[in-house]
Parts: sequence; C-alpha cells; structure tokens
Amino acid sequence: MDTLDTHNNKKLAQVSKEPQRLNKAQIAELEKVQSISKIIYNQFKEHKAAVIGAYTILFFVLVALSAPIVEKVMGVNAENQNVFHRYEPPFTTISAGTDTRENEVRKYIEENPESAAIVQAELIKEEFVTVSRPEDALYEWARFEKRKAMAAIRLLSIDQDIKTDLRNVAKKFEIYHLFGTDELGRDVLMRLIYGTQVSMGVGILVALSSALIGLLIGAIAGYYGGFIDTMLMRITDALLSLPTIPVLIVVAAIDLQKVPVLASLLSHGSESILKLIFILCIFSWMPVARLVRGSILTLREREFILASKTLGATDFTIITRHMFPNVIAPLLVSVTLGVGESILFEAALSFLGLGIQPPTPSWGNMLFNAQELIYRAPFLAILPGLLILFVTISFNYVGDGLQDAIDPKTIKR
Amino acid sequence: MKSFKILLVATLVLSFTACTKKSKKREEAPAAQTTEAAPAAATTPKLNNSELKIGIGQEFENFNPLIATMNATTIMSKLAMRDLVTIDADGKWVPQLAKSIPSLENGGAKLVTIGGVKKVEAVWEIIEAAVWGDGKPVICDDFAFAIKVASAATVSIGEKEVFTQVEKVTVDPTNPKKCTFTYDKAKWDFYQLGTFHALPKHLEEKIFNMYGAENGGYEKNSLYVKDPYNVGLYNGPYLIQEIQLGDHVTFVPNPKWYGEKPKIQKIIFKLIPNSGTLEANLSSGTIDMISTLGLALDQALAFEKKVKAENLPYTVLFQPSTVYEHIDLNLDNPALKDVRVRKALSYSINRDELTQSLFEGKQSPALHSVTPKDPWYTDDPTKITIYKYSPRDAERLLDEAGWKRGPDGIRTKGGKKLSFTVMTTAGNKTRELVQVYLQNGWKQVGIEVTAKNEPARVFFGETTKKRLFDSMALFAWVSSPENNPKSTFSSTSIPSAKNGYSGQNQMGWKNKAVDKLLMDLDLEFVHEKRVAIMHQILKHYTEDVPVLPLYYRSDVAVIPTQMKGYRLTGHQFPETNEVEKWTLE
Amino acid sequence: MPGDPVELMISANPKITAADVARLRSFYGLDQPIYERYFNWVSDIAKGELGYSRTYRIPVTEMMGPALTSTFVLSTVSLAFSLLVAIPLGILCALKPNSRVDYVVNLFNFAGISVPSFWLGIVLIIIFAVKLQWLPAGGYQTTGVEYETLMEEILDKAAYLILPVISLSIQSIGRFSRFTRSAMLEAMRNDFIRTARAKGLASNIVIWKHGFRNALIPLITVVALSISSIFSGALITETLFAYPGVGRLIYSSIIGNDFNVAMVSFIISVSMVLLMNLVADLLYGVVDPRVSYN
Repeated sequence: MDTLDTHNNKKLAQVSKEPQRLNKAQIAELEKVQSISKIIYNQFKEHKAAVIGAYTILFFVLVALSAPIVEKVMGVNAENQNVFHRYEPPFTTISAGTDTRENEVRKYIEENPESAAIVQAELIKEEFVTVSRPEDALYEWARFEKRKAMAAIRLLSIDQDIKTDLRNVAKKFEIYHLFGTDELGRDVLMRLIYGTQVSMGVGILVALSSALIGLLIGAIAGYYGGFIDTMLMRITDALLSLPTIPVLIVVAAIDLQKVPVLASLLSHGSESILKLIFILCIFSWMPVARLVRGSILTLREREFILASKTLGATDFTIITRHMFPNVIAPLLVSVTLGVGESILFEAALSFLGLGIQPPTPSWGNMLFNAQELIYRAPFLAILPGLLILFVTISFNYVGDGLQDAIDPKTIKR
Repeated sequence: MKSFKILLVATLVLSFTACTKKSKKREEAPAAQTTEAAPAAATTPKLNNSELKIGIGQEFENFNPLIATMNATTIMSKLAMRDLVTIDADGKWVPQLAKSIPSLENGGAKLVTIGGVKKVEAVWEIIEAAVWGDGKPVICDDFAFAIKVASAATVSIGEKEVFTQVEKVTVDPTNPKKCTFTYDKAKWDFYQLGTFHALPKHLEEKIFNMYGAENGGYEKNSLYVKDPYNVGLYNGPYLIQEIQLGDHVTFVPNPKWYGEKPKIQKIIFKLIPNSGTLEANLSSGTIDMISTLGLALDQALAFEKKVKAENLPYTVLFQPSTVYEHIDLNLDNPALKDVRVRKALSYSINRDELTQSLFEGKQSPALHSVTPKDPWYTDDPTKITIYKYSPRDAERLLDEAGWKRGPDGIRTKGGKKLSFTVMTTAGNKTRELVQVYLQNGWKQVGIEVTAKNEPARVFFGETTKKRLFDSMALFAWVSSPENNPKSTFSSTSIPSAKNGYSGQNQMGWKNKAVDKLLMDLDLEFVHEKRVAIMHQILKHYTEDVPVLPLYYRSDVAVIPTQMKGYRLTGHQFPETNEVEKWTLE
Repeated sequence: MPGDPVELMISANPKITAADVARLRSFYGLDQPIYERYFNWVSDIAKGELGYSRTYRIPVTEMMGPALTSTFVLSTVSLAFSLLVAIPLGILCALKPNSRVDYVVNLFNFAGISVPSFWLGIVLIIIFAVKLQWLPAGGYQTTGVEYETLMEEILDKAAYLILPVISLSIQSIGRFSRFTRSAMLEAMRNDFIRTARAKGLASNIVIWKHGFRNALIPLITVVALSISSIFSGALITETLFAYPGVGRLIYSSIIGNDFNVAMVSFIISVSMVLLMNLVADLLYGVVDPRVSYN
C-alpha cells in the first residue's frame, strides 16, 4: 500500500512542477544517451529529503561498523558494567568499576613484569598501600580515585617511562559517558551503537531475505500462471490480511527448539536473532511477491521473452536472465521500505519481550528494559526510540526517493 | 445493488456516530482534563477510610479457594476467606478459624498406631462465632466436604496432598464445630494446614453432586464462577461486591464478620499489568497504594528516592522474604563434578557488593537455603561452611584443580575451556542484572560464563524440569518457614524420565547422609532436635556446593504514609490476612 | 506454544508430586496424542463450543464480549480520529503542492509512519500523565466510580481514551494524509475539474463535490486495508495503556499459557479483520459505480 501511495503522491508532485522552460544547453544535455542507473541516480538526487535520508543511513552504518574504533576513542567498553553507577545521566564522568581497573592493572603487570615489581616495591615502601602479599600492591593502588592514583605516581621515585605508563593506566580509572549509563552501568552510547548493528542488521537481512522469497514466489506465480499462480496468490492474500502483530506474537511464542530440524541450527547464542529474522521473513515477503508477479505477468507477453523462448532458453534462464533485471528497480524500492518496517517490527517484538534476548542489545529490547524506570532515567527510553525514528524515517524517505527516481513518468528527458 | 445502498447508509450512519462521538470528545477533552487534575491534586492528602484503591500487577482468576493458584488471587482472597491456621507477619503459626493449634504438648494431638502404621490424631475446634457471609456457621463438615471435592479425579486441583493427608474427619456428635483429623503419616508438621481451605458445603454440595462426575464440571459451575457475589461463599472480613476480570475487584465489609471490625469501607484491587505505569497511576490518583505484586525492586528503589526528594506522602516498604534466589549446578557436568570448581565458583561471587550495588542493601545475601527468619536458620561458621568473597581463594582452588589460565585469560585443562552457561528466565530484569554481574565476577578468576535465557514457560517447563541446562540455572525457590527440603535435596527427587520428572533436585545431588537426615527430620517431634538435624543437612549443603546461594528476595509495597496496621509478611501468607487492622485515619 | 498448563503449575509449586502431574495431565487431556487433541478442539469449535479459559474457568465467549467491544471502541475512535485529521491535512497539501505547508506536513507524515507507536505511547505517558498529570496513564475508566449520568460516563471514559487513541492513530494519520494528498492531486487534474472551475462554481464545491468525491475511491481501499494494521497496533497500545481489549487478552493469555483463550481470541480477531476487509471490498463497489459484483 505504501508503494501505491508514495507512487501517486510524488508522481503528481513532479508533474505539477513540470511546466518550466529549458535552455538549449540543458536540452543538449538531456538528449545525450544516459544509462538507466545514471538517470535513476540523477533523479534520486532531486529528492532532497531522500538524499538526507541516504546520508543519515550511511552515517548510522558507518558508526555501527566502526564500533570498535568508537570504543577506543571514547575509552569505554560496551560490555563493561559498573553496578555502582547505574542510570547515570548523559555527559557524566564516573570512576570505573573495580573489575575494569583490575583488568587494566593485570594487563600492565603482564606486559611489564619488571617495572611492575619495582612499582609494587615502591608503593609498599612509601606506605601508600598496606597489603599482605607484595603482588597485590598494584591492585590496591587501583582502588584509589583517579586523582589520588595520579598523585601517588608523582610521589614515587621511579623512572619517568614507568610513570608515563602508569599514568596511562590511571587514566582508565575514569570514564566519560556521553549518553550516561544503563541499568547495569554499561555505557549507553556503546550499547546504542551495538544495538544499531543488531537492529539495522536484522532490518536489512529481513528485507533482503523476504525480497528473495517474494521474488521467487512472485516469479513462479507470474511466469507459470494457472493453478500455481492461483494457489500462491491465495496464500499471499491470506497472509496479507492477517493482523501482523498478533500473528507475530503467537509465532514468536513458539519455541523453535522444539522443532527437531531447527534445534541444531539454532543452538547458538544468536538464537533469538536468527529466530526473529526467520519469523519476520515469513510475514513480510507478500508485498514483494505481488509486485514481482505483476511485473512478470506483463513481461511474459513481451516479444523478447517470446524470442528467447523460441531460441530454446529454459524457464530458469528466462526468469533469471531476462525477467529479473526488469524487476530489480521496483524491488529495490520495496526492500528499502521493508527495512524500515522490519526495524519497527523488531522493536515491537523485543519491546514485548519476545524478540531479541539480552544481553545482546537491540533498540527494541533497550526500550523494553527502559520502560520500567522511565521516571528515573527517561533518556534510556527516549534515545533508542529516537534512533528508531531517525533510521526508519530515513529508509522511508530513501524508498520514496527511489520510487520517484524509477518512475518513468517523472523522469525528465 | 440495493444491498450496497443499505450498506452505504449503514456505514455512513456508523461513521457519523463515530465522528460525533469523536468531536464530542474533542470538545470535552479540556473539561475532562481539569476534572482529572483536580482529584489528582486532591486525593493524595484527602485519603480516608471510605475507600482504598490498591494497584496490582498480576492477573487474577476466579476465587474458588481450591482451584485458584495465582498469587494475585491469593492476596485478594484473604480479604474474603480465612483458613484454620496461618503464619503471621512474625513468621509464627497461629490459629485463624481454629480456636487453637493442637500439639502433642497441649494434648490436642496424639500419636496412634492404626493397622501397624504410625499416625497422628488431632482435635480441631472452629471458633464459635465463625460464620459464612449468609450467617450459616463454619463447621467441620465444610472441611470434610473440601477434602471430598479435592480428592475427586474430575477436579483440577494442583497440590492434592494438603487435603489427602487428612485420612478421616470424625465430627464430634455434640458439636459440629469440633472434630478429629486422622493424618496418614506421623509427621511433626501435621498442623501446618495453611492451604487447607474450607468450602461452604451448604451451597456447593448440590453443585458438586450435579456436575462432580463430569471432567472439570464442578469448577466451571461452582458458585464462585457462576455467582461470585453470593455472600455465603465467603467467611472473611470482606465480601466481593464486583469483579471485572482483567480489570478490578471491589470488596466491601462483611456485616456477619465475627472478628475485629474492618475500618476501610471499600477496597478495590485494580489490575495494572504494565509495571512501568504503576507509578503514574499512583501519582494521578487512579490507585492509592501498590501491592506486593507490583513494583520491581529497581523501581521501588527509584521511587523511594523520589519520595524522599520530593517529600511525597508515601512509604516504600521492603520486607525480606522466603524467596531464595540461587543457581542450581548440574553436577553431571564434567567440570562441575570437581567440588573445587564449585567452591571456586562460590568464592568468586561478591554477594555483599551484589546486594549493595544492585539492591542498595534492600535484599540480603544468602548463605544457604534457609532464610534468616526461619527458626532453623544458622550463620554459625562452626556449623556450616561460609564462602566469603575471595577471588584469590577461587584462583587457588582452580589452580589446584588443574585449570590454568590461557592467553585470553580463560582457564583451560586438557585443551578444554573452563566455560559454563548460566540460564534463567528471560524478561526478569533483576535476574538478568544478577546474571551479568556474576558473569563479570567469574571472568576475573578465569571462568567463562555465557548467558542463555528462555521464556519462563520453557525454562521451568522443560529446561529445569528435565535437567536440560548444561551447567547452571538461576531461579528461586519459595519456601515456608520450617520446611523440609526433601523435594529439592533428596537423591530420590532427582527428576528423570523414570519418575516422570517429578522432584526438584535438579542439581542431581546425591548424598546418602543427607537422604537419611531428611527422613529423620520428618519424624522428629522435638524442635531442638529438628534444628540440629537441619544444621547437619546445611553443613553438607554448604560443603558439597550443589547450589550457589545468591540472595533472598524482598517483598516491596508502597503505601500512603497515613496508613496504619499494614504489615508485609515476606512469606506466602499475604499481608491481607490482617486487612481488618488497616486504617487510613 | 511451549509448555502446557500443568508445566506452568509445576513451576509455580515445588510441592507438586509426580502423581499430581499425571493426574492433571489426564484431566486436561494432555496425555492424548497431539492429532487427537487437535481433532477434539476443531470439532468443538465447529460445534460452536469455544471452550473455557483455564485461568478464569469461565467460557471464552464471556471474556471475548467485553474485550471485543473495548477494542472496537478504541479502533473506531482511532480510525475516525485519523481520518478527521488526515483528510483535511491531505487536501490542504494537495491544494498547495510543494508549498512550505506541504513540506512540513509531509515530514510529519513520514514521522508518523516511522515512529514506533509504543515509544510514542511511553513519551505521551511521561508528558501528559506523569509531568503534567492531565490525563490518566492507563485503564479504561476511573475505578470504583458510579456514574450518575451518561454524560459523566462518556466524559470519564473519553479521558482514558485520549492517549491510546493518539498513539494508535499517528501511523494511520501519516498514511491517510499522504494518500489523500496524492489521490486528491490526481482527482484535481481531471478535465471535469477544469470544466467545473470554468463554469464558475465556488471553489469549495469544486474541491469537495468534484475533487474529493473522486479521491474517496482509492482512499477507501487504503482505509480498509489499514483496519488490519490498526487492529494490530491496538494490541501493543492496549498492553501499554492497560486497556482491557482483545489485544491485551491475546498477549496475557499467551504469557499466562491460557491457550484456549489465546487460540479463540486470535481466531475471532482474525475473522473480524477478514470480515472488515470484505465489507471494504463491497463498499468499493458502492462508491465507485464502475466496479460491479455481478
């Protein structure tokens, strides 16, 4: 329905803009032969909101993919929790949890055992720490506040190099949380970024795989027609008319591990993600199937298909070589719009606690976790929601733009 | 075509009404807002005994005491129904409908041998004034009738043993309120009949006779379902005035109630399934207080801070309960077979920090399965083994056991990683928090633990029941004080296909000495000796470490500051047992 | 659904014995093979016996009635509200295409389509129920109030409907408004519009009688197809706002393992959606005389 809707909408918008005079240079430019992808690209660029949307998506993808780099730059770790500093508001600096500190110290000791021994001896000699075993001295030092730890380093009589190293360790005793911390004291920014990977990943995968399913079913139905067509299309109609969310909830409640074949496939940690993708795919291929069937039905009657048939091409070749290229453009629109929709469905299911299971972050389950403490930490609920909104809106705009771009009626030639 | 026109007209009319409805609403919306705002501001200080609205977060079912299993129903039903005995807020067994609790000491009970089997006979007497809401006295026959119904194969009652343990009820010919119960076994805890409910025989017998033969026939046609407002069904301080399934239940005082007069003239339990909106409902005056089935601990902690900061007229109550959160270890796991590994796991749990940081000290760390309020409790280090947080001890034990740290910090032995999976119920925030906290602690000592969570139905229905968890399962047991842990400790209770997966010894813990002690415990009638036996069991329990104790959960409730007489109990007999003492003035 | 009612009982009570389990399983007929259970269920449904709720022990039909009514009210009000907002917005844009108003409304439409309704619901609760305390956070009427007049009742219930309706409508508003805009644009391009204008008809008459009447036809299809999605959305909205409708019934019965209720309410709600689709198809014929069903 979206397809139809955007289609008309933009088409008309363009048409009404049409009456403008072109100068000669422009006409010459337009008369040059252009490849179809070039035309689409140029046309797409006209749609400002779609371009902004595309850049937004690009930005999110880049950020999601560069999660490890962001982690380095921000000096945080997505999984590290700090239970004494839960629900911290955005833009706060807090001292790191003991385990984070001890890890840093252990790393230091393992890398520089000699200098560590010197420091340990010094720490005990200066009576900064009191310990039963000398090798614990550095660990005790790690319990200091950052400023105190730094001061201790300054007062120790050790090499400057070691001091610098130690300062680097001590720097990690404090962490800056751009978006604050969540219910376990984890860094919200990093969780959002990893959540982006999961949510957008699920959205894109679902859209792509359901497009594949739809392509297959639509192609078979459209090409062979007759009984096969009737049957497949009735199934499609039936699935389309079901109320999505209740169906998804019922299906999500089914434990796939009870199905013996799937049990072995799903026995890993990513089980809930795979399951979700699987379920969403089952219920989102129908619009694509309809679209493809429609295109193939008209293509079937065209001369070039008849020609290839006469030349003895197999059905498979005809469908894949000659028909698919002609449906790719509308398919692309459908996939793009599908990503937005899938993201929303993933969020809805996870929000009901039936989607992606913790600790894997996704925008939906971050919202689910946040709703209990919405009064104490509203930002925890607002941030993932905003991201869902931004990304979905971007995908919808891009889809809209693509639709305009491939619509022959709007192409200015 | 004609039919289409009719349809068109119909839809137009429909949409017109819808529109007018809508526009009406839009006009009136501001008015509604002001009326909403006024009581919101006014109700909080103006609470009085005329009405109390309690928010509850869990669905409730019908009120037939034999059939009801949900906690929400239990809480509400105590307003309208009372039993022979109960446990009070101090954790002691006290009589309710009974005049006193029979015991060997007071001569109310005696050990007898019938047909070569040792049994107990106890004399129960129901208080004179106890009547059903329609004025008919509560008599022994009501209990005998309940036993009859519960024993019928056509009635889906969960725990039958409570009823069937009473073999025979002999009513005193001169006094229908006095009778002798003959129990099938000579067990010291025969008087613990807290879930032994009475049914009004004068009302329910006809129904049972009519439909009792049909599968499920009684429970579907019981007056509790067909005519829940019948006053004769209830014997408590309140009667049910209105039930809206899935929304609310209204209670009003029972004029025939024989005990202390209830002060509050109307109590409404309102179902608010989304705990996130409970607080909003409280501040908007939709509800006046939040029952124990409502806020999660995290929410309660946050709300308490808010109450203090903004000086709101509420009190947040925390009450340590008998809910014991722990991790069952699967002792068949090759790595967990080594007791040193199990001890190391226990040593590397910082229970104090866990309860302090995650629960702000409102829930207490657990040493073993017995709760501090239980008379059987001990924290004496000479009697049991206590695992104080010590990662170094853990590391030492693991080194001894041959698990050496690999390059990634995770220990290995013979090429195998020291890796476990901790499973729990998905969606339970607190458990998921604890899970992640523990994972971190174990990582410090070189144990890799991954989390795997399942919906409660799968987790309890399959995973724990059939022991399908490969190493660890995090969940809770609810126990009552002085409860024999036979079903969780005894080696005969290890669930398997052979015994139809009954029993809750999901660890697979086999300890002959413990098996014997558990048997002895049941038959020991002297309190001090029972305590000694239990301490021996706990010694084995803490030394073998089949279970990693974590903490005891606390019950949470929010009440208006002006409310008096409200005491949380922390066990399965809810605070509503004392509802007649509650007052807002 | 995994787990059966007996398993749920076991998980709640450690004291249940093997004998209890066997007894309860045979009580619920769970010891019979699955095809037999399915056959029994289907034949019961066919006979019109929808069965009992395991939790409440009352016939499912008794539970469905009020739940369906509530959901129907919520969905209808929401549909009416979306149409009332969306159609004027769409027409406004269509009359001034590519104006600033058009762009703003378009952005709003896209946002409406893209916003997760449950999140919007949370935000609305934060703003209107918690911060401003203007509206109740959930439920469907003030508990324990006895209404003196019908007016009072409508007023009270309306206050509880506002937030759910807004969060449920936002998506359909976006959809309908975009669609109205394009359908209207298309209609206004027709020759008879030009003729009508040329005749000197008042622009209002041209817009409503000539333009909108023609835009209505495709609009009905979209509205009809949206019924299913409004119904879907009602499920989450109902759960969030504790509104006792079918959606919440389905959700809570799945969570509570009351499978008979879950199945029946699911079947009924799906058939309701299908029925509405059929009505919409028929309506199409009424509005557009070119379509006939002979």
